[in-house]
Order: sequence, then structure tokens, then C-alpha cells
Amino acid sequence: MNEKAKAKSMANAQIQLNAGRRSFLKNSVLVGGAAAIGAISATPASASGEDVILQKQDWRTDLGDGVGTRPYGTPSSHEAHVIRRNVEWLTADPVSSVSFTPLHELDGIITPNGVCFERHHGGIAEIDPAAHRLMIHGLVDTPLVFTLEDLKRFPRENRVHFLECAANSGMEWRGAQLNGVQFTHGMIHNVMYTGVKLRDVLNEAGIKPTAKWLLVEGGDASAMTRSIPMEKALDDCLIAFKMNGEALRPEQGYPMRLVVPGWEGNMWIKWLRRIEVGDMPWQQREETSKYTDLMPDGRARRFTWQMDVKSVITSPSPQAPVLHGKGRLVISGLAWSGAGKVSRVDVSIDGGRNWQPARIDGPSFTRSVHRFYLDIDWNGEPLYLQSRAIDEENNVQPTKDALRAVRGVNSIYHNNGIQTWYVAKDGVTENVEVS
Amino acid sequence: MSKFLKTIALALVAATLSGSAALANGDVDQGEKVFKKCKACHAVGEGAKNKIGPQLNDLFGRVAGSIDGFKYSKAMIAKGEEGTQWDQESLAAFLSKPKSFVKGTKMSFAGIKKQKDIDNLLAYLGTFSATGDTEPTTSETSDQTATTEPVEKAAPLKNAELPTHGTYHLGRMASEAEIAAWNHDVRPDGEGLPDGRGTVLQGEEVYVEYCASCHGDFGEGAGRWPVLAGGQGSLQNERPVKTIGSYWPYLSTVYDYVQRAMPFGQATVLSDDEVYAVTAYLLYLNDIVTDEEFELSNENFNSIEMPNAANFYADDRANEPQYNASAEPCMVDCKAGPVEITKRAQVLDVTPDQSN
Ligand code: HEC
Ligand code: HEC
Repeated sequence: MNEKAKAKSMANAQIQLNAGRRSFLKNSVLVGGAAAIGAISATPASASGEDVILQKQDWRTDLGDGVGTRPYGTPSSHEAHVIRRNVEWLTADPVSSVSFTPLHELDGIITPNGVCFERHHGGIAEIDPAAHRLMIHGLVDTPLVFTLEDLKRFPRENRVHFLECAANSGMEWRGAQLNGVQFTHGMIHNVMYTGVKLRDVLNEAGIKPTAKWLLVEGGDASAMTRSIPMEKALDDCLIAFKMNGEALRPEQGYPMRLVVPGWEGNMWIKWLRRIEVGDMPWQQREETSKYTDLMPDGRARRFTWQMDVKSVITSPSPQAPVLHGKGRLVISGLAWSGAGKVSRVDVSIDGGRNWQPARIDGPSFTRSVHRFYLDIDWNGEPLYLQSRAIDEENNVQPTKDALRAVRGVNSIYHNNGIQTWYVAKDGVTENVEVS
Repeated sequence: MSKFLKTIALALVAATLSGSAALANGDVDQGEKVFKKCKACHAVGEGAKNKIGPQLNDLFGRVAGSIDGFKYSKAMIAKGEEGTQWDQESLAAFLSKPKSFVKGTKMSFAGIKKQKDIDNLLAYLGTFSATGDTEPTTSETSDQTATTEPVEKAAPLKNAELPTHGTYHLGRMASEAEIAAWNHDVRPDGEGLPDGRGTVLQGEEVYVEYCASCHGDFGEGAGRWPVLAGGQGSLQNERPVKTIGSYWPYLSTVYDYVQRAMPFGQATVLSDDEVYAVTAYLLYLNDIVTDEEFELSNENFNSIEMPNAANFYADDRANEPQYNASAEPCMVDCKAGPVEITKRAQVLDVTPDQSN
């Protein structure tokens, strides 16, 4: 999400604007949306009834594959469109780039491992766990080296946390930009980690009284590093080796990664290989050149670690338009906060004039996403959908304009402004901002 | 090597060729190391895909510019149409000076200077060509020492005594050599800087060879690669340009990051002196030093002040008005007037072809 990417996106925008907005949207919905979803409603083609009932389907008569033909199962071929996608022109090279989670296709709170968004700086390190070590040194009594097997002998914990890139929604600072929740909000995933407390591992080496900071480093080609204050390290960080029950995926840091609950994703070092203990921050490239927030006065905030309270409606959204016409409509979305649990989500269907509390369903964990629903009868008139999350510390998700009023439009990171989706009469949905 | 010698070397190389791509005088393992220079742009081996450059499997015998689905430059396609096939000789010529062998190629790579490196590289690439030695190499070149150990019993507790550290007595003591092998970070106070030195002029050479192909001759950034210089005074502009000179608060970050991650795709190739030199050169490109003879070393490193150092402050989001509002959020009639769309999505075709 650098300046050039943004400039490029603006340039693209000009071209796109002239290309016939409505016709484009319609086509993409009809071609993509409907084909992927299949029948929208069960309407009989003839008086006697529907063919899918009256005629036998192959899968009713023919035997299917036996067990073992799919030793590691994959989704139905009809779900092949549910994938991570990237935006090619955002970065110079896919090796240091980002792909986005298909939020519009998911439900519940858990992100399936295969579609968790990716952000790498030197590609995916393919690490042989037998050749992987974790080293702890610096201001410690005993510098130590651990294997993965060593690590698994510490007491384990299971926790569900969201991981959000600080640049999530970063393209939207200047105004509505990308037409899809996958791209506006897809730099987040939420999985259950199994791991061990960073605190336990640090205690094993014995932290010296002067120790105030950690430098954590990955073993990939970018040797990604961040400084982490000791307070956080001793509080709730984990070194995880499993996600959703299975080994971390290579693109998520196999064989081990850091979990820094509620804090920006860049700090959750993947392929973790080294922890240095020190008494001041290291001021690495990822906490100076990047992940600092430029303000209108030309100065910049640094160490803006915590992710703010935020929510978004995942359906309807531009990639998940309303294809069934008026009547019952399930509005569904995600809410989260780096401060803890989400206590309430309000939804507006009239662009923020009136709000009603949505129903949060499913487990509510601290620093995890929450799933919310609002079930309405849609009268077929345009909708201006918004959601607003409130967390247990009573932080209220702000409007984009409120953020811009303080931060201008060049801070790239930490855009947690309220998103608006415009649902037209025909159900086509678009990323907009409203008065 | 003089031009004359080079020609002879090439001739020799060509002479050793007899239908097989495998080269007697190239070392495959060494070649794998040289290939790090190419990795940012090219893949080779099983499942290799086109990246910035085409995949390089079955390169020997390939007509130049002939991989389907890769967008070559006109120049490369023309080269193929002229009848150029990739073999020992043409590759050696191309890789030593890409821009002169294929005028107008879009491969931004300065070329490999040492004939030996080219020989080794081609021996390595030959292992991925059907016409060459087909035995792929699996040897490890990393700094890991225990890669061949079968299972994770790595902790070499030689004196079989149970450790006593910590609560669970897990892990084993790290040796000084091990810490030194991995601990290369540099802090703003200079902690971690190795002994070494390099001048602006020396840095220019390093930069031209290893950095300019992506970051541009003057740090302006080629194509979409990052800009490293300029932008001073632009931080309040509509389009600020954040560079080492205009934005970075600490010089240590430049040293640390370059030795850590640059050149992109061949991290850690530079010597300590080369990192000092190229850091000095980046200061020069950013007008922070102006003397070409300036030498940066671990001794004077801390005397360099970065122009934007004072302009960073701690996170104060909590003081922003929107987080300070104590009132309950409004639920009814919160805004006057009918809702109007003020901004629309700018990029509509962001979802690539939904059907595939
Ligand atoms: C900065 C990116 C970059 C680097 C680094 C790079 N290449 Fe390339 N390479 C390219 C591009 C782009 C092309 C296509 C050139 C064209 O179409 O003119 C190319 C083309 C080639 C070709 C021609 C292949 C064909 O199908 O005709 C060969 C061979 C090649 N590169 C080898 C190498 C080797 C070996 C290295 C490392 C020593 C290397 N390249 C480094 C980008 C790069
Ligand atoms: C093959 C292309 C390539 C080459 C060659 C290259 N770089 Fe880079 N450089 C990059 C990319 C890509 C990034 C951004 C990486 C990221 O964000 O993960 C980068 C980032 C940087 C940055 C940080 C920029 C910022 O604003 O944060 C510096 C400094 C840098 N490179 C210096 C160098 C130096 C010095 C060399 C030569 C020794 C070099 N690079 C060679 C591609 C390259």
C-alpha cells in the first residue's frame, strides 16, 4: 500500500469510470454471481414441477468416489471461486505482496486455513521443520535454542484471534476505491491457534531486569523483524504451531509463528526463528519507513500497534449482491476490536440516519471477530447499508469523515471507518460513501 | 577480464559443448548460489512458473522469447525469430551483458561479471534442462548445519546432562557462534554494527551492480519498485514521497535493512564493507552527505543525523475526538436530509474474471 500503488489506483480509476459503471456491474453480477450460486429460488419451469426433482440426478444413481480418494479433502468444485485474490497493480512483485480473504463467501467466525489472506515480503519460506530452530538471546540468563519438538513440550493453549493487517482498508482513505469487501476489508483472518505462551518460553531463558523490548525475526528471505514491548510479550502473546487444529500453513509461517492478539498483523512474525531481548526498540524498517502513520502536519505517529474497533457487512456486498429480490434478506457481517470483545453492533439501512442493534451469533472471544446478523424484510427500495461496532471498552467505530478530519488521507494504516454499501433496486451492490 | 580474454573464454566454453548442456567446468552447487541473483524474477525446478521473468526449465535448446503466456519484449521475440536458441554460448553472452546481447530487453539486470559465476550458473540451470545433466541438485546452501539430521533431536547435548535452566528445562544453550551467525541487527545507538567502512564512490559501484536495476540509477525507483531518494519537503503534500532522505528517522535502519533483505532475492550477498559503502551512497543520493570521498564506518556512523528524525511521536489515537466522545452513539434521526451518494467505488473491475 505504498504511495505509488495509490497513485496507480487513482489512474486506473479514471479509466474505469468512463467504462460504463452500471453495465459493467450488471454483467459481472450475472456472469459471476449467479453462475457461482446456482438457482436463486426454486421456481418450477413447468406446471408439473422442477426438473431437478422430476428427473433423476447422476449423483442419485451413480456411486461416488470411495474413502481415501481424497486423502486431504478440498471444497466442492462448485466453490472453486472462493479463493484468495490479489490486485496485481498494488505491488511491484507478487513475492512481496498481498492476497485477500474472500470474506463475502464466508460465514461464522473461523476463516478456513486455505483462504486466510497472505502478506509476504520475500515469498513463502518452505521450511523443513527438522532444520528449523528458535533462538532466544540478548538480555537473558541462558541463551537458548529450541526445536519445534522442544516447543511442543511447554503447556499449550488454544485461542481464537483475528489477525488484521494495519493497511486493511488502506486504499479507501481518499474515498471509495475497490468494489468488493474482499479487497476493502480482506486483509483479516480469524483462526484458532494452538501454541505455547511466549512468557513461558522467555522465562525458560530467564529475562534480565533491564529487559524492556524484544526483537522478533522470521527465517524467510526478508528476515522480517519487529520490536515488541516486553509488557505485551508477557501478557498474551503465543508462539503457535497449529491453526484450526492442523499445522500452520507454509504461507502462515510453518512451522511456527508469533501471535500478538489485537495488534497489527505485521508484528505476528511468521517462520519465527529468533527472539532477541533488549532494553530499547530496534527501529526496524517495518516500524519506521512502514507502519508509521503520516499526519497532515507532516509528522508521523509510530508504534500504533493496536487494531481499532471495526466492522463490515460481508453480505450483501459488491461481490455478494442480492439476487433474490424483495422479501426476507439476511444482512451479515463481521466485527472486531484489538481492545477485547465486541459488545454491540448496530446496522443502518439508510446511510446512518437510523440504527438498530444487530444480533451477534456464535462465540464471542476476546480479540476475535464476532459474527452479526440483521434479518429484515426488504421492500425493494435502495439500501445504504452501514455497520458500527462498539467494543467492551466502549470505543465506537468512527465514520470515515471523522477519521479524515483528524488524520487526513495519507496515513495509510488503521482505517477503521464505517463502510457503506449501496444496494440498488436490482440488488446490485456497490462501494460508496454517502452524505 | 579483457575483452580478448573473454572471447577466448567463451570460445572455450563453447568448445566443451557437445550436445549436452552440462558443463564440465561449472560447479552446480556454486551455480545454485549464483542463481540467487535471478530468483527475484525467475523460477526454475519442478512446478516453476513465470514471475517477472519467464520460468527457466528446459532453457537449453529453447528459442529465445518462446514461452507461451509470458509477455516478452519485442526485442526478445525478434531475437528468437532471428534464430537465437539458448545454449552455452548465447546464454553466456546474454548473462554477461543482457542489454547489449538483446538490445531493448526488458530484463533489468546489469549482468554477471565473473566468467566463473556464469559457468557455475549455467551448470546449475543445465540440471533443469532435458538435454543436460538431469540429476537435480539437492544440496543445501543455507547457514543451517543440521539440515541432514533425520528428526528433530537437534539439541546436541553432548555431555548428556539434563539442563537446569528455567522451569521446564526445555531447549539447550545457544553457542556464541550460533548467536553470531544469526544476530545481525543494528539499533539506532549503533549496537550491532560490525567493524567496517565504505565510501560514497565505492557505494556507487555496489549500487550500480546490485540495486539500480530495481531502484533506478538515482534511487528514483524503476517501474513500481520502491523509491529510495528525494521527496524532501513533500510530507505535507497531497502525494507525499517517503524516502530515506525525506522520512526515515534513523540511519541504522538503512544499514540493518539492506544487510537483512537487499538486494531483493539475493539477501546477504553483500559484505559488511559493501553495506557501509552502499549506505554512504544512499546518504549521498539523498543529499545528506555531499562529498563523494565521504567514508562511512562503524566509527562515524552515529554522527549522522537524519533530517526527519524529530518528526515521529508516540501513538496518541486515544486522544482523538471520535474516541473521546462519552455520549451513547445516536440511534434515531442521526443525520438530516435524505441520503445521497457522495463517492463511488473508483475501481470496478477489481475482481478478476469471476468464471475462473
Ligand atoms: C529484475 C528481474 C530479472 C532478473 C534479476 C533476471 N532476469 Fe532474466 N529475464 C527477466 C525478464 C523480464 C525477461 C524477459 C526479457 C525480455 O522479454 O526482453 C528475462 C529473460 C531471461 C531469459 C530469456 C528466457 C527466454 O525464455 O527467452 C533468460 C535465459 C534469463 N532471463 C536468465 C536470467 C538469469 C540466469 C538471471 C540471473 C543471473 C536473470 N535472468 C536475472 C527478468 C530478470
Ligand atoms: C529485484 C529488485 C530489487 C533489487 C535488485 C534491490 N531491491 Fe531494494 N527493494 C526491492 C523491493 C521489492 C523492496 C520492498 C520490499 C518489501 O516491502 O518487502 C525494496 C526495498 C528497499 C528498501 C526500503 C525502501 C522503503 O522505503 O522502505 C531499501 C532501503 C532498499 N530496498 C535498498 C536496496 C539496496 C541498497 C539494494 C542493492 C544492494 C537493493 N535495494 C536492491 C527490490 C529490489
